Amino acid sequence: MSTADVRITAEPIDNDRCKFIVGQPVHVGGVRRFASPEDAKGSPLAEALFAIPGITEVVVSGHLVTAVKRGPTPWAALGPAVGAAIRAALAARAPAVAPRQAPPGTPADDDELYERVSRLFETQVNPMVARHGGVVELIDVQDHVVMLRMGGGCQGCGMADVTLRQGIEAMLHQHVPGVKGIVDITDHSAGSNPYFAAAKK
Amino acid sequence: MPRPSTLSPRLLLLLPSTTYRATAFVEAARRLDIALSVASERSSTFEQAQPAGLLTLDFTAPADAAARAAAFAREHPLAGVLGVDDNTAVVAAAIAERLTLRGNPVAAALAARDKHRQRELLGRTAGSVAVPRFALYPADADAAALGRLVEYPCVLKPLQLSASRGVIRADSPAEFVAAFRRVAAILAEPEVAACGESARSVLVEQFVPGPEFALEGLLVGGRLAVLALFDKPDPLNGPFFEETIYVTPSRLALAAQCELAATTQAAATAMGLVEGPIHAELRYNERGPWLIELAARPIGGRCSAALRFGTGDEGTEKGWVSLEELIIRHALAMELPTLERERQAAGVMMIPVPGAGELRELRGVEAARAVPLVEDVAITAHRGQRLVPLPEGARYPGFIFARGPGPAEVEAALRDAHRRLEFVLG
Repeated sequence: MSTADVRITAEPIDNDRCKFIVGQPVHVGGVRRFASPEDAKGSPLAEALFAIPGITEVVVSGHLVTAVKRGPTPWAALGPAVGAAIRAALAARAPAVAPRQAPPGTPADDDELYERVSRLFETQVNPMVARHGGVVELIDVQDHVVMLRMGGGCQGCGMADVTLRQGIEAMLHQHVPGVKGIVDITDHSAGSNPYFAAAKK
Repeated sequence: MPRPSTLSPRLLLLLPSTTYRATAFVEAARRLDIALSVASERSSTFEQAQPAGLLTLDFTAPADAAARAAAFAREHPLAGVLGVDDNTAVVAAAIAERLTLRGNPVAAALAARDKHRQRELLGRTAGSVAVPRFALYPADADAAALGRLVEYPCVLKPLQLSASRGVIRADSPAEFVAAFRRVAAILAEPEVAACGESARSVLVEQFVPGPEFALEGLLVGGRLAVLALFDKPDPLNGPFFEETIYVTPSRLALAAQCELAATTQAAATAMGLVEGPIHAELRYNERGPWLIELAARPIGGRCSAALRFGTGDEGTEKGWVSLEELIIRHALAMELPTLERERQAAGVMMIPVPGAGELRELRGVEAARAVPLVEDVAITAHRGQRLVPLPEGARYPGFIFARGPGPAEVEAALRDAHRRLEFVLG
């Protein structure tokens, strides 16, 4: 299969962020975050994405590429350029993303936290919320603060905040001590199938 | 990530899974840096992983719930317990009695939940608390025969449902028969019938004319502190009693406001309520104040967001004390920093159910938010949800909040914002 055939699905998270789900792995060595063009040097995909006007941050993990932009240009206009950059990087012989090089013994940075939180979500959090038809998506880790989005039965659920604080946050506290906080960016008013719907009084 | 230390006092918060109030209470507990355990009647999927933070209790069996809470407290000592609605207020009272925590006697909480028991107790106050004349009838009684006995206008009510669900005014025997059958049908709905004995009776009482008010208060050692008195500017004359706008401060004459507070205090004393939040519904006419209902819980829905205490930064939450923080502080016997509501007027509209049907689309939310003085439009109904109007319905589609220099401006802003909403039902 040529890289032109690789399926890429764009899923805007909000005005500033868009997740691109790629039909084949982009980077298998954990997560890499690029906060500036300088960070991107040596990683062809990240360099190409920063060349797109407005892109300010790139996070790559497995099949996912999350791009962050600044400015009014909608994702519908930027998306084709991002898709083309991903396909071009996959077609190249060199790895799309260079492995992260952190000196041993350095404190956990956002990339490392992202990996650990991602693993916790995959192995523990999501199997738990799935029992109520829910799903929790890790959007990003910035300055040690976890940004997440709830879906399925969790979105709009009357007990979502209990799940968030008494469940997810407590799990993060136990298993990923470096995390400083948690931000839920879910649009709960858009939830169409909440597990618990609030009633009068 | 900051978490309460093991030395922080632990609160057991009783949250029904259908509550609107989870976020307000959970966030208040976070701001106070206390240890929080949340109990619900349905188990959380995290309960096994977080046994100190989550618990399942049977809210229909207060004594059993108290025994279970006592076992929980041996592992995780509790400094306070708090219910957030009529049912969990009873469970909280049972737990407080069992663990010697701050709370109300169970009998008082039960009376606050049961409109008939409440009427009986208040009827013995030798007139210090005026209540409508009332009678209790079995839900399977001969409605036509009863319709010839009662005086008109009257109001039919279930004993335990809240937010005016199942409350219908009748002005004639024919209206009475129709209303009685309608209330009986609501009581026969499975989730209502599960309430037990209380779902087998209908309270019929004299209709009391006059404007209605809601008093939000906190009982501390049996003494009432009035936190807010809300006007309900939309006339509540029936046939149904949909609550819409609450605005505070009240525009009622000060002397009359004092009478409402004195009546509420007398009612709480007569019922044996001594600690925690209360929410009273009163009417006021040429004969003075009438107590329509006194609940041992805070204001319902998301309405508490209209209240904030102390002083803080406009446009942010910084510095303000929420109603939930006050309630939690009181439950844990912590110092109460203030009981004084902010100086600005504030109001909330419980958005009326626009009709029966499936919610397909809601237009105009941003336009409603853009109305000056409007702080938020919180839509709680989700697309595809079946909206059911009163008297059968049990859910508001959402809430509008406004704050401003005076109650008249706030009320106008709420109405303006509401006019901009367009519900598309299918």
